[in-house]
Amino acid sequence: MLRDKIERHLLSVQKPSRYIGGESGSIVKDRAMIDVRFAFCFPDTYDIGMSHLGMKILYSLINGRENYWCERVFAPAEDFEKIMRENDIPLYGLESLDPIKDFDFIGFTMQYELSYTNVLNMLDLAGLPVFARDRGNSLSSIVVAGGPCVCNPEPLAEFFDLFILGEGEEVNLELMDLYLECKKSGCSKDDFLRRAAHIEGIYVPKFYSFTYNDDGTIASLDVEEGIPKIVRKRIISDFDKVYYPDNFVVPFTEIVHDRASVEVLRGCIRGCRFCQAGFIYRPFREKSAETICRQTKALCRNTGYDEVSLASLSTSDHSDIGNMLEQLIDYTEGEHINLSLPSLRVDNFSEELLEKVKKVRKSGLTFAAEAGTQRLRNVINKNVTEEEIMNTCRIAFEGGYSAVKLYFMMGLPTETDEDIIGIAELAQRVVDLFYSIENRPKGRGVQVSVSTATFVPKPFTPFEFEPQDTREEIERKQKLLVDSVKTRKIKVSWHDPNVSILEAALAKGDRRICRVIYTAWRKGCKFDSWTEYYKFDKWLEAFEECGISPSFYANRRIGYDEILPWDHLDYYVSKEFFIRENKTAHAAETTPNCRLKCSGCGVTKRTGGKCFD
Amino acid sequence: MIKLRAIFEKKGRAKYISHLDLNRCMLRIFRRSGLPIWYTEGYNPHPYFSFALALSLGFESSCEVLDFNLNEDMPFDEVMNRLNAVMPEGMRILAVGEPRLKITEIAGAEYSVSLETENPEKLRTEMEKLLSGESILIEKKTKKGIKTVDLKPSVELLSMTVEESELRLILRLPAGTQTNFNPMLLIEALKNTSETPFEVCRIVRLGILCENNEIFS
Repeated sequence: MLRDKIERHLLSVQKPSRYIGGESGSIVKDRAMIDVRFAFCFPDTYDIGMSHLGMKILYSLINGRENYWCERVFAPAEDFEKIMRENDIPLYGLESLDPIKDFDFIGFTMQYELSYTNVLNMLDLAGLPVFARDRGNSLSSIVVAGGPCVCNPEPLAEFFDLFILGEGEEVNLELMDLYLECKKSGCSKDDFLRRAAHIEGIYVPKFYSFTYNDDGTIASLDVEEGIPKIVRKRIISDFDKVYYPDNFVVPFTEIVHDRASVEVLRGCIRGCRFCQAGFIYRPFREKSAETICRQTKALCRNTGYDEVSLASLSTSDHSDIGNMLEQLIDYTEGEHINLSLPSLRVDNFSEELLEKVKKVRKSGLTFAAEAGTQRLRNVINKNVTEEEIMNTCRIAFEGGYSAVKLYFMMGLPTETDEDIIGIAELAQRVVDLFYSIENRPKGRGVQVSVSTATFVPKPFTPFEFEPQDTREEIERKQKLLVDSVKTRKIKVSWHDPNVSILEAALAKGDRRICRVIYTAWRKGCKFDSWTEYYKFDKWLEAFEECGISPSFYANRRIGYDEILPWDHLDYYVSKEFFIRENKTAHAAETTPNCRLKCSGCGVTKRTGGKCFD
Repeated sequence: MIKLRAIFEKKGRAKYISHLDLNRCMLRIFRRSGLPIWYTEGYNPHPYFSFALALSLGFESSCEVLDFNLNEDMPFDEVMNRLNAVMPEGMRILAVGEPRLKITEIAGAEYSVSLETENPEKLRTEMEKLLSGESILIEKKTKKGIKTVDLKPSVELLSMTVEESELRLILRLPAGTQTNFNPMLLIEALKNTSETPFEVCRIVRLGILCENNEIFS
């Protein structure tokens, strides 16, 4: 039995409870009663994957069907992978401890570009060929992917049988139902994929092929006869009534986000021009305060968690936030539960709201200012003014906070040295503000942490056309920023620009990138998002060997009329809108948020004319 | 505040829950049970849980001791049943009652140790030889560094049986706040002296004992 083999080695690895299942809330079924088995794979370790909300939702959703069984699968850490390979332990599901090779579905959630090599590694550990074309035509082991990264699935197209675009709560079950029907009637994999391609939200890449121009740009997209030319993402219409689990798998070992989590809204009204999530999750929809409260109570009761966080892109945009927080705080205080509120925005962080938040947490405050000058904040449509940032910091300092974290991006479109110096100046004014306040926290100085990330242009944003700064340019700007900081009360940190370059190339890549990913993986690349494993030199070698330049994808300005690798995927927000927004950005003009005024992004063709009542 | 003590088992997959994780795990079990947990009254209220004797990662046990507090008096059986209804696989409460003895009265523990080997009879002879020697010296990691200890005066071998490819020992070792010997120390000593290759396949703590070998409860 595989379990015996696993247990024989488990005590020689770090945190063994990650590899053996048996947690409270995990769902074990009788194999004999199951029609369709689904391996839900997260291409990173247990500690990270178990924190992912989407997996929890879809896990419970699928397991809600008596004859379907969804299991969790994570990438083993290095020590256990070595043992697995040496002892012929194939990748297995944590519920049954059965090898996932012969499961009906092997599904990955693609949350970040730097997890792509882990997908190949996990397929290989499972004992499956990594290329879809090498996996045969019998109806089993359908390898699928969903998540934000599949809005441009082309760099992964050769590894997967199909992609699930948009929200999974309905389409996953439709797909499994179709599979079961096909299984009963003895269909081939190809027959199944051909039928699946007609489900809204399902993209089967092998029916689509690209030709390229001499300059490397896409010449045309050819679609097989009888296959939809455009694939549209799935959207849940009634978000207040959408399926939400009332229990989570509760891990034994500590994970990154070890708490209950309730999704309060989906989509975002803000339209920050760099933010992919802000566009691909449109339209904005929210749950009622009652629903949120009910789901919080059920989750806390069933999991035993003493911490709950509210999940969303921008919790303070909830139209009923005051009432919602009041109800939640009432409940959580009485039950000794900590309420944590990430994603609070600077601009509508009122004093009253801060009072409520102060009741529940006393850690540092984080503000995403994103750019150092008002001009550049206008360019990226981050509609936060310096006055608002200062106001919020004042309220925070007066409320007893003495540490503030400011997030910025570097290498934004139209950025000049003035904008970089502006980051240091803004941080300095926050320091000065602290010392100008009479009733500031006594006994300790202020700490302003400036964290800068390199801007990565992403598909389905107004900046999809934009080039990324070269590494040399980013390094020059980082030095300029450090030189502009005049006090030790400001701490500057940044991300490795080499990571951001790969992120851009993978995010905006086309199908030719598949070969690069494969080559990099063969060279030993995996866990690319972990600093200690990232091998940029191996990636450069892989690009070189494939005759592809990463800067073609990362550092090139793309014309408005160019065919993009994701043009045949419809996320409702139109390319015309992105072009319009791109031009508005270059004019340093802002676009109001969706609640103030509809900007005609295209999502109303789904919501029937308007997104808000 | 009502002070209670539970005896619980930790078997099967639950043996991979580390001692550090067990505290968090227990808190969630109690929260799921809906029992009226007593919280401290300080600035940062938290419940009180105390495990009498830490159990090494990978060991199973049928006799773990947990002290906890409730806000209300309740029938012991009800407390036990409500906890067992929400336990993860491998963990089960065997008894709930008032604490009878003080934690400091713990003096020893009994273990069943199963060693897998191709030649259990030979390993048995080697074990006998090890135990009949003058001393059993082994390096033990302590908070102050590594020191050499003699297990000989403390180890009590209660039985040693051979079953197929297994040598099974029942051992009694000092445990508690004064001296604490992990059975792995003896296994290590055996590994250092024996010529027969073997693997530890199972260690189960069978009992936590007081000075007079009375079961701690």
